[in-house]
Amino acid sequence: MDPLAGMDDSSTDDDGASQTTEDDPQVPENREPPPAPAPPPGPPPPTSSNRVKPNYELKHTMRGHTSSISAVKFSPDGTLLATCANDRVVKIWSPFTGELIRNLNGHTKGLSDIAWSSDSVYLASASDDHTIRLWDVDSGLTTRVLKGHSSFVFCVNYNMASTLLVSGGCDGDVRIWNPQKGKCIKTIHAHLDYVTAVHFNRDAGLIVSCALDGLIRIWDTNSGQCLKTLAEGHDAICQHVQFSPNSKYILSTAHDSAIRLWDYNTSRCLKTYTGHVNQKFCIASCFSVTGGKWIVSGSEDNKVYLWDLQSREIVQVLEGHSDIVVACATHPQQNMIASGSIESDLTVRIWVDRGTPAQ
Amino acid sequence: MNGKPSNPFNITYPSAVQTSLHSGASVAKFDPSGRFVAAGRPDGSARIWDLDTKSTVRWLDGHVKGVVCVDWSRNSRYVLTASKDWNIVVWDLASEIDPPKRKTILRFDAPVASASFHPRNSQILLVLLSPGDAYIVDLRKHNHGRVELCEVQDDSDDEAQSSKHRSINTVARFDPPGKHVFIGTSNGFVLVFNTRTKAMIARHKIAGAGSIKGLEFAKNGRRLVTNSQDRQLRQFTLPLYAPPSADGAYIEQELEPTYRFSDPINRVAWHGMSYSPDGEWLAGGAADNATHKIYIWDIANDGQFVNALDGGREPLVYLHWHPHKPAIASTTNQGNVLIWHCPTPERWGAFAGGFEEVDENVEYEEREDEFDIEDEDVQALRKQKEEEEEVDIQSVQVEKRGDYWKWSAADDEDIAWADEDPDDDNVEWKLKILMEEEEMN
Repeated sequence: MDPLAGMDDSSTDDDGASQTTEDDPQVPENREPPPAPAPPPGPPPPTSSNRVKPNYELKHTMRGHTSSISAVKFSPDGTLLATCANDRVVKIWSPFTGELIRNLNGHTKGLSDIAWSSDSVYLASASDDHTIRLWDVDSGLTTRVLKGHSSFVFCVNYNMASTLLVSGGCDGDVRIWNPQKGKCIKTIHAHLDYVTAVHFNRDAGLIVSCALDGLIRIWDTNSGQCLKTLAEGHDAICQHVQFSPNSKYILSTAHDSAIRLWDYNTSRCLKTYTGHVNQKFCIASCFSVTGGKWIVSGSEDNKVYLWDLQSREIVQVLEGHSDIVVACATHPQQNMIASGSIESDLTVRIWVDRGTPAQ
Repeated sequence: MNGKPSNPFNITYPSAVQTSLHSGASVAKFDPSGRFVAAGRPDGSARIWDLDTKSTVRWLDGHVKGVVCVDWSRNSRYVLTASKDWNIVVWDLASEIDPPKRKTILRFDAPVASASFHPRNSQILLVLLSPGDAYIVDLRKHNHGRVELCEVQDDSDDEAQSSKHRSINTVARFDPPGKHVFIGTSNGFVLVFNTRTKAMIARHKIAGAGSIKGLEFAKNGRRLVTNSQDRQLRQFTLPLYAPPSADGAYIEQELEPTYRFSDPINRVAWHGMSYSPDGEWLAGGAADNATHKIYIWDIANDGQFVNALDGGREPLVYLHWHPHKPAIASTTNQGNVLIWHCPTPERWGAFAGGFEEVDENVEYEEREDEFDIEDEDVQALRKQKEEEEEVDIQSVQVEKRGDYWKWSAADDEDIAWADEDPDDDNVEWKLKILMEEEEMN
């Protein structure tokens, strides 16, 4: 097997597999006021084929956050939308009416990520105050404060059974927690730089993490051992990574304005999605599987992009935000997308698929 | 499982202790998914451990005397605890309280020695009492009742009859399809009953065994291993049993073991045995009163002895192999449950991207065009083409738990009978996370 088979196609014969520690990327922090948005990208590849296309339209625009939004997440039962921002507040919204239902107050510094437990009862939030809080969303009360990270906590996720919580911090550590007891089970010194995303696979046997050191690593949850490292090219610092719904692949977004789908068993890059702009910020992408199969991502040109999973064509661009879109999420049952933008826009937008567009 | 990056070692039996669960248990069993362990305690309670977090998720507090046996329903929703206090409790883990709701309490007139769920329906139970009475308890509406399984007595030979009268049942088990009940007796017989008709269909003499202490099946249901007074484990290949005939005839047959396993040096007795999920390994828990020893035999390789695992100083009292992994739960007499696993050595090569560690030097053959400079367009085009391949991000191979699904009800009366009036132990149920009440800081 050619070890370089999965590397970025822009690299030629140079050693694309080497680490990228000599690069010194400007740490992309979505909690800081952003520089001016990047110029618009080149035209998206021509769309061909007569596949069904999405037809998302803006349904609600929710205002309330007073500083850059960092994450938006639908609850697994689909009834609520949680958003978090640099303004220290987690907001719970109704995705159907756009109404604000509740504010979760308690963190003393800005928030970077949130995650729902699979029963939609609890929400975990990762903050710059070095803690993770677990909230009972119904009552709005904090049920646990998980302390242990020695720096900002940047990302957090539950496993499918919600018995475990994994978090990544700016100290380069990945921590595994028992949320029921509020205790840290394991600390993995995973990376040399900010850990920007962590995610469990379906049976929670594996954890994937990525960091600003440019590496994607796969860990054995039980032993904490590193099982594999995927390195992208020099210019492709990965900043978000997750398993596909069936955990066979991982989806990564990188600072060379490309989203990649990897087969982590063979370390091969199967698909590359391009056309959006992503060079500075940690922008999350996500799978949309409720209708057509799309990849959804925000972009530094203030838009939300939808790609066809298989053909990699851009199938729709959602315009409306007036600043960089760093967060997006897809509804678990309906054709609905939520997106969040940083300062100066500060809105959360709900987009709903209106069905087949008129020809 | 979810394709783990390749494990270079091909050992399929566990070899080292991963965790010790401090649970005060005398018996501990994995659930059919392998996520939980139920540990029965001499104080009459039982604990459900979550192996993800290695912590207790439920306390089953329902007996006033020691729990002697625990069992899981096929999708892990129900747990039974059988106790010396003459009761069996069936717990419903889907209830959102701790201790969970009791679905059924069964009361008998003697201490319970063992109890188990039917592999296909948790409403059918097999119960053995300490005095040796074996019952099939059917909790389903239309055939509700308790039926005692009785050995057929020969009328012809008076002497034989009187000797058999003195024998008592010492162990009772369903076979993996649940079609038959196997009962071991104190005089070295294995009796086979049809679960549906409750009729005895076979009697096997195990020559030289003495009292039968344990019975265990390989998952395919065709192999049986017995533990007996003579400190030998015997493996048998079971004959195919015909459906019970109307006239009550049964097979009288001496079974010849395919393998015998024993400790030739210390001649230890055995406290338990368990097959690996693929049936290729057999683990035997030695009844040694100074050490914790598990013997592993390679069934695929003529039953050769391969290893004796040393689990420290606390003697072993029970062991159970994980339903689908190379892992064993062995219980010590101090109440600790040792979880054994296959340790994988740390591979430092895993920390480097695109780096492959090899065990031996490999002669590298350079491809003809390896260092040719390829046109960027051509390269992009090739990459483009590669990416056309369709990917499937959604479909999941549903892992079927337990073994019951291997036998279909379509053409088997006994299995169709067990599937009638199914229980509500569905695959979809989930154990609810109960947050412990704790003061906030």
